[in-house]
Amino acid sequence: MDSRPIRQARHPANLEAMNDVLVGRALTKRFGQTVALGGVDITIGAAEAVAIMGPSGSGKSTLLHCLAGIMKPDGGEVSLLGRRIDTMRERERSALRRTRFGFVFQFGQLLPELPAEENVALPLMLGGVPRTQAVRQAREWFAPLGLHTMETRRPGELSGGQAQRVAIARALVSRPAVVFADEPTGALDQRTGHDTMRLLVEATRHNGASLIVVTHDQNVASWCDRTVEVRDGLLLVPGGVGA
Amino acid sequence: MNLDLTWRLLKGGGRRGLLGAWLTLGAVAVSTALLLFAVAVNFAFAARADRGAWRNPVPAEAGAVAIEAARFDFVGDQVITVVDLAALDARAAAGARPPGMPRLPAPGEVWLSPALAELARKLPADQLAERYPDPAGVLGDEALVYPGELVAVVGHAPDAPAMTAAGTRDGALGKGPAKVADLTGTPSEDSEAYRALTLVASVLMVVPLLVFGGAAARLTVARRDWRLAALRLVGATPGQVVRMTVAEAVIVALAGALLGAAAYAAAAPLLAGIPIAGGSWFVSDVLPGPLPLAAVLAGVPLLVGLSAVVGLRRVVVSPLGVAKRETPPAMRFVRVLALFAVLAAFPLLTRGTSIGIVAVALGLAFLCVNLAGPWVVSLIGRITAGSARRPAGLLAGRRLVDDPRSAWRTVSGVALTGFVAGFIGLLSPSAFAGDGEPPQLLVSAPAGQAEAVAGQARDRLRAAGVRATVRVSRRGTGDALVATALGSYADPATIDRARTALTGLMPGRTPTTRADDERFATQLLADIRMGTTVVLSVSFLVAIASAGITAASSILDRRQTYALLRLAGTPLEVLDRARRAETLVPLTVMGGGAILVGVFCAMPFMIGGMSVAGAITLGACVVVGFGGVVGAGALSRPLLRSVTADPAPRPD
Repeated sequence: MDSRPIRQARHPANLEAMNDVLVGRALTKRFGQTVALGGVDITIGAAEAVAIMGPSGSGKSTLLHCLAGIMKPDGGEVSLLGRRIDTMRERERSALRRTRFGFVFQFGQLLPELPAEENVALPLMLGGVPRTQAVRQAREWFAPLGLHTMETRRPGELSGGQAQRVAIARALVSRPAVVFADEPTGALDQRTGHDTMRLLVEATRHNGASLIVVTHDQNVASWCDRTVEVRDGLLLVPGGVGA
Repeated sequence: MNLDLTWRLLKGGGRRGLLGAWLTLGAVAVSTALLLFAVAVNFAFAARADRGAWRNPVPAEAGAVAIEAARFDFVGDQVITVVDLAALDARAAAGARPPGMPRLPAPGEVWLSPALAELARKLPADQLAERYPDPAGVLGDEALVYPGELVAVVGHAPDAPAMTAAGTRDGALGKGPAKVADLTGTPSEDSEAYRALTLVASVLMVVPLLVFGGAAARLTVARRDWRLAALRLVGATPGQVVRMTVAEAVIVALAGALLGAAAYAAAAPLLAGIPIAGGSWFVSDVLPGPLPLAAVLAGVPLLVGLSAVVGLRRVVVSPLGVAKRETPPAMRFVRVLALFAVLAAFPLLTRGTSIGIVAVALGLAFLCVNLAGPWVVSLIGRITAGSARRPAGLLAGRRLVDDPRSAWRTVSGVALTGFVAGFIGLLSPSAFAGDGEPPQLLVSAPAGQAEAVAGQARDRLRAAGVRATVRVSRRGTGDALVATALGSYADPATIDRARTALTGLMPGRTPTTRADDERFATQLLADIRMGTTVVLSVSFLVAIASAGITAASSILDRRQTYALLRLAGTPLEVLDRARRAETLVPLTVMGGGAILVGVFCAMPFMIGGMSVAGAITLGACVVVGFGGVVGAGALSRPLLRSVTADPAPRPD
């Protein structure tokens, strides 16, 4: 397999077809002298699961942050369902992340003092859903994710795998268009990681959301529909063709 | 080696690590400074009591060298302490030197304190100076209880009427002549009462301060626990970890204690300006002596070190213990039962025993309040979380349930002091004084001489050009009262002229108005109010410092969670509102509630009128205090913004 880092060619005109949920075009980002992204084009389709792989410092997390509106790229553009998000102000991007995106991180994302069900309900409450309704909706996620009876437990009383499943429920509860997962199994053993990825992919797909997973782990990536590899800020694609 | 490694870890902790150390240092500095104040104020009152003791004669069984009497005179709304002295034997009396004077005054000689001498020069002679003509000297500071005190020492012959007459009609207005072997005297009952009240106020301040000071070691605890757990994982023994923790806590605490002591020394001149019991303070009075200072400087770091060790238990037990956050055990109701038990035993403990036992009982009660406090905070948290409709309320409520001790540390002082402040704050001293009636000067005289004394009074007043009606009213005790009515329109200057004219009318007795007679009771109430305001201010200072420092350290401890929430789109305002509610809800319920209950309980006593000045002072104190707490919490907002701006948050 030819794995040369290449700058991708421009996407064809149908790039932002309705089937494309999230589109990053010619994304560049520098930190001082370091080029984190050197002009990346990437398209995520509806209900598609995409793994972003690469060694440490390759720029994969920066790419995820730019796509998620956490970070503004220095150049290029990011669109969600045809709407530019890189030009939005922080407040708008923050609201977008809350309502249209879901996040699963490696660990430390659950509020330790809230019971699991309230951790899950929090995004709904932030969106203005009344508390009782938010908690009721949150509870619906527990049984499908194998968390039955865990509703009132606090994060400190959950295992790592259970905590990640609660995080998955929280990421999906507000019915996002895209779920971003940054090393979601990084703190888990292989078996728990396997189960967690299965649940993440299945639940995301079942919910009609797209999934972007940043990972080092080929096993994790194998759960996704396709994998893109980042190296030195550029996408590395089989045969030297950008995805 | 441990110390060296500890120092290197402390220095190399990075910007946020150092910020954690600075927060601990700041907390220790604030609590040390306020602790020094709470301790020093006791020594200050003791110093006052000792300096004023010479005016409170102790009758000698044998070996008397002088006769001493003490009484109070008045000018305007100020009190003059008058000490009448007569040497019995010039040679023997040579050694009985009154404080602030080189010798006993000769008969007819008058010595004045600097403030009285100045006032006598300033006012027309017929209002004051003629009462103490031709002063022979100025009293030194050793003779004075406080810097601006008005004191006159009047010399007499041993057989002078002032030295042989019976005492004043009211024991509170002076002490009758007594033969004394020296001029050491004994602290007055008033000064002892002030010392007792001060002790109570100190306990009120010390308990929250010790809790706050001890908690300083646990600030940014998560960060330190991670580091120490990492050290355990690489093979550090529990002993090494404990030693390093103690060393780190003590190094920082010692620096904080020294900073706090320096801050207190710098603030001492300001504190000396607080008027209590008639006047402000000598700066030397409010500075603690070397022993109390050393005790505080050694005690605070020790307490912080001890607290750090207690907080370390989990790390020492298991290196992995801190890798996962554990659910803290729920507050047990037994804490409240302990408080009820002590409250039930309190009347028994305090019945007829010494002030020391009362203070210990009070301290015990406050400690139990401190035990019950977190339980109540936890209850408030559960109610807040249960009734919350918005995320900020939910987060605040759950956080209160999660760590009620932290919130209690912030509000405990205000909750403890609030009731007294509310009760005393609105009471009007004038409601207890006989205001409203036309001023009249009263002096008691033996019934047989009363008419003659009244006649002399009329002559003197006529000579002084003061229009007054003098009459004699009988009393059952055998004494009569000579009453000089000055009319409704008599101004303070006229009253002072009448006082001057009537000086010496009855030797050893001072003509007084009803307001003069009640002045000491109203002064005591005003002083209790001032003291309460001071204690409430200290409590709010603790609350402000605690709120600011706890908020910042909590951000550092939870920065990863905050940052991830922020990345997931949680508005900064929600996190900020939650942090604010976390402090304000218990402060409002417990502190504000205590103040309101105090005000409510004081209502039956406000029939005579409410003190507007007191209400304004209390209101200002509460507004500034609450504002300060909110402001202190808001100071850490840039820190919250900074840690949540990190796109790749990781634990330290």
